[in-house]
Amino acid sequence: MTVVAVIGVGNPFRRDDGVGLEVVRRAAERLPDGVPVVEVDGEPARLLDAWTGADAAVVVDAVRSDASAGTVHRFEIRPGSEAFPPWRPGTSSHGAGLAAAVGLGQALDRVPPHLVVLGVEGQTFSPGPGLTQAVAAVIDDVAQRVLSEVRAMKDADVPQ
Amino acid sequence: MTHRAPTSRTMKVDALARVEGEGAMHVEIRDGAVADVQLRIYEPPRFFEAFLRGRRFTEPPDITARICGICPVAYQMSACEAIEDACGVEVGGPLRDLRRLLYCGEWIESHTLHIYMLHAPDFLGYDGAIEMAADHRAVVEDGLALKKIGNELLETLGGRAIHPVNVRVGGFYRVPTRRELAPLRDRLLRGRDLALATVRWVGGFDFPDLEHGHELVALRRPDEYAVIGGRIHSSRGLDIGAAEFDEHVLEEHVARSTALHAHLLERGNYLVGPQARFGLNFDQLSAGARDAAGEIGLGPESRNPFRSIVIRAVEVVQACEEAIAIIEGYEPPDRPAIDVEPVAGVGHGVTEAPRGLLYHRYEIDADGMIVDARIVPPTSQNQPTIEHDLFHFVEGHLDLPDDELGHRCEQVIRNHDPCISCATHFLDVTVDRA
Repeated sequence: MTVVAVIGVGNPFRRDDGVGLEVVRRAAERLPDGVPVVEVDGEPARLLDAWTGADAAVVVDAVRSDASAGTVHRFEIRPGSEAFPPWRPGTSSHGAGLAAAVGLGQALDRVPPHLVVLGVEGQTFSPGPGLTQAVAAVIDDVAQRVLSEVRAMKDADVPQ
Repeated sequence: MTHRAPTSRTMKVDALARVEGEGAMHVEIRDGAVADVQLRIYEPPRFFEAFLRGRRFTEPPDITARICGICPVAYQMSACEAIEDACGVEVGGPLRDLRRLLYCGEWIESHTLHIYMLHAPDFLGYDGAIEMAADHRAVVEDGLALKKIGNELLETLGGRAIHPVNVRVGGFYRVPTRRELAPLRDRLLRGRDLALATVRWVGGFDFPDLEHGHELVALRRPDEYAVIGGRIHSSRGLDIGAAEFDEHVLEEHVARSTALHAHLLERGNYLVGPQARFGLNFDQLSAGARDAAGEIGLGPESRNPFRSIVIRAVEVVQACEEAIAIIEGYEPPDRPAIDVEPVAGVGHGVTEAPRGLLYHRYEIDADGMIVDARIVPPTSQNQPTIEHDLFHFVEGHLDLPDDELGHRCEQVIRNHDPCISCATHFLDVTVDRA
């Protein structure tokens, strides 16, 4: 049976950076039994631990590009696929995130065979709690997409 | 091919990599001599001291833990020590042992992160840990496993690995049972083996030549390798209590930095952190830590800042052994905390964060409201010293081309594991030879 993990990444005290956590909490209410939901701050080693042992994982994180707030970006990593999209790398270890975790995981052969990342475009990442309206408005839709991804992973014959 | 570096140049790194937080470095070379070296800290100041005013005396452990995601325990411990000092309370016995155990978890996690993810790639010629991991997979896996053992200690005692929630003035909200700690002992035995392997690995690196003469400053206690409390000692005879810190350490604002620069009055710059602790308290290391240092020929006289990576590894052995001993001797206290009633006055607290001495001072009123707060993190104390190391390193390596010199300078900074986020009340590198 395909082991799937759902992982929310973010810091709830940096406004829209917390959207990944909110989405997986919402999705958890409707996920089938046996699908662990893990919340992490984005520190690469903890992210690696969160998905190690899973055949597939759905990761929800906030992203910042030039898209409008609430836009959902989908990235998929399978064996032999290209490196992770060139998200702007941070320089501080305080800000090392998902891209570093995927890079480190690929070097250590510790990325699940199937990884889907749903990146939700944030509007503000300033200190403080609470999502902006445009981002909070898409939580339900993104949670629904998590459920669909998990269902597809469960149904798929994942190459081992 | 011969390379001849120009006699005047400016070198700048606008965003230093693999440091905790954001800062920059600027080096000016004029007529073949170093004219100026600046470590610039541009993270915005965070005003923690100001918003502690008017809060309850019980709040600093949770509020100041938020200053850093990597060393929250250090902030919690210095805060508790200071508040308890103000209120005339001393936390001893098993509660103090549990605080040391929690602190061991932070040392293991923070030091291991710095050794494997931030510092080792410098010595092996990689741009970062990811590039290093591709060629040194087993070593990096061991490092991650060791770091995780530190995490587990934090989770068990602190309630979670980042910003632990179980620490309070007077002790803890809940203390673990012997049964809950028992599995950690086995994990720490594995951790000690991994830490010993780490000492042998980093002990074999090539270390650039650089000797410093900084005054070493660290806590010292008669009974242990000091981490919580004790007197502030130095390699040149300073011997003061926490309450005298204010009278001896002057912090000043410099335009290039949102972190204050600290100096010892009439003595100048000084060094806190692993090399200072190791130099001053070598005789108090655990047997395994001392043997590990001896095996690779590292003694208390070590003054090459590049060797700090080895000292950090020895301190991880120390933390594992200390944690094992605490767990083996643990008898749960009757109550998870002792009662602390507010007393109007001033309290001082000093503990050894992974990066060095961390000082807190609080003034509270009779109702337990905080009137004034002062926090002096290790990186502000080390900032002038790091610039000193940079100056001398650049002076000795003027023949290096800009990119090589810039890279080496970043390494000089990383030797001190600066936590810029903590220090802003900081990295980019620039070399100016024009």
